[in-house]
Amino acid sequence: MATFILQRLSQALFVLLAAALASFVLLRYVGDPVNNMVGQAASLAEREAMRQALGLDQPVILQFAEFLRDAATGDLGVSYRFGIPVSKLLMERLPATLELSVCAMLIATLLGVPLGVWTALHRGNVVSHILLAASLIGVALPTFLIGIVLILVFSVWLGWLPSFGRGTTVALGHSWTTGLLTVSGLKALVLPSLTLGLFQMTLIMRLVRAEMLEVLRTDYIKFARARGLPEATINYDHALRNTLIPVITVIGLQFGNIFAFSIVVETVFQWPGLGLLVIQSIQFADVPLLASYLVLIALGFALINLAVDLLYVAIDPRVRADTLLARTVS
Amino acid sequence: MHDFIRSPVALVAAASTLLIVAAAMGAGLIAPYDSNDPASANVIDARLPPGSSGMTGDYYLLGTDPQGRDMLSAILFGTRMSLMVGASSVLLAALIGIVLGLVCGYFRGLLDAVIMRIADVQLGFPAILIALLIDGITRTVVDRATHDRLAIPVLVVAIAASFWVQYARTVRGLVLVERGKEYVLAAMVTGVSPLRIIASHIRPNVMGSVLVIATINLALAILTEATLSFLGVGVPPTQPSLGSLVRIGNEFLFSGDWWISIGPGAMLVALCLSVNLLADWLRDALNPRLSNG
Repeated sequence: MATFILQRLSQALFVLLAAALASFVLLRYVGDPVNNMVGQAASLAEREAMRQALGLDQPVILQFAEFLRDAATGDLGVSYRFGIPVSKLLMERLPATLELSVCAMLIATLLGVPLGVWTALHRGNVVSHILLAASLIGVALPTFLIGIVLILVFSVWLGWLPSFGRGTTVALGHSWTTGLLTVSGLKALVLPSLTLGLFQMTLIMRLVRAEMLEVLRTDYIKFARARGLPEATINYDHALRNTLIPVITVIGLQFGNIFAFSIVVETVFQWPGLGLLVIQSIQFADVPLLASYLVLIALGFALINLAVDLLYVAIDPRVRADTLLARTVS
Repeated sequence: MHDFIRSPVALVAAASTLLIVAAAMGAGLIAPYDSNDPASANVIDARLPPGSSGMTGDYYLLGTDPQGRDMLSAILFGTRMSLMVGASSVLLAALIGIVLGLVCGYFRGLLDAVIMRIADVQLGFPAILIALLIDGITRTVVDRATHDRLAIPVLVVAIAASFWVQYARTVRGLVLVERGKEYVLAAMVTGVSPLRIIASHIRPNVMGSVLVIATINLALAILTEATLSFLGVGVPPTQPSLGSLVRIGNEFLFSGDWWISIGPGAMLVALCLSVNLLADWLRDALNPRLSNG
């Protein structure tokens, strides 16, 4: 168990270090940092002074160490485009992305699990065939197209829901803004989170269905039936409970995908989150912002993957850590 | 072949895939207008709905875009671009993956450990994010003119770099099995060079699985290209691809001009769905063991 956690921790650290190195190389070698900071008219002496002030005359290894120390304390440099510290920009945008991602995951889970159970229990049913066919198409539907169709139907044609922005937001504490407490904020959240959650929903639905069918065939379910237990107890208490382990793992892993596709959804709906920021920073060649995003993403994914691994061990007593270890090494 | 004829889904999927591929490859012949020729765009006829006739008597079956380009032609040329980018990146990813997988599986050792660790780490990240970052970072590194020239090769490399892992892992696993079999051992003791064993003894036996992964990946690669182009970091807007066409249409959605984005979007879905169904069938038919790569 300890080896497993240590191995996973070292892997996470390795990822972070690699991302930090990539981000450092970007910052240091894309364009001349001095040129980016001094004016056109700066003299050679002024440039040299700036170079020394920034520590660019130091050996590269020392510069990297300096960069790591700064990054660890939250100093990620100044955005070329906005002229304010990158860490401040990222923190401003983080709540919007997190709210969107969590809502999308909730929609996917709260719809996907019941639909999966229902289609497993009513296998021959016409509706469940239709649902399954629809979920097949759902896999081939690109996220941005779902968003566009939803905007077209619900915003342009019906005019029911807003198609861009977060609506009115309320400040919680000094750094968090939320759109969950106002009517316009909630209305603005509906289409983006539906768009983002739809693919995950079809995935969860198919997974729950497959797992349920598997479990319903086992002996202990047949035995429970033979004992005359109520159908609901068998289906939900005995069967569903045993399908949840893989489902929870997949939900955890899919969180990474949700985060990635939030970039697409934020672009379609002009949602003021991290994804929109990073797409714009690519178009404006805002290197410090891009470099910091790289580190932030690596940190986020390292944490998600670690959490999923630990969760997997924690909730399934059958999975011993050494078998997990064997699986990842081989 | 017998199974193939008995599966109506596979037949329909194969037929529609063939139809789309043929239409895209023959875009130069069957498209009413040449979308790559700026002179074919007629600004007076901009944003006409499907089935309209233009000022100079042109007929636009699927309407026109904001520059007055015929949508039907743009979709055909766009499909060709999407297919080409998708197929090239799948080929490149397969090539990288097969070579690394063969070498790692056969020689093991430090190289194997390092490459497989990188593969493990990369598997934790969504492919689309990796492609986006590679493409986005290249975009900031080189200047605009160079980038426009290199946009498509860069895109292909970015997508390939995010898909190679699956091939490498599968091929490596298969090589580990093949390596212990008599025919390989016999080749070893008779002094056949390792490169020859890898290339002409082991490789033919892993290609079936590679083909299955490649068809599954084709739809994914096309979707990735479309998504990146939609985000504005893929194919440059001057050359139509399905994603960049949807992007153009997105800007005119609020004027009610739905056909500019829905046409290419529908084509994208039809293409991906057909390829996906075909890949599913191929997977079951060729290799029942390989369910999830």
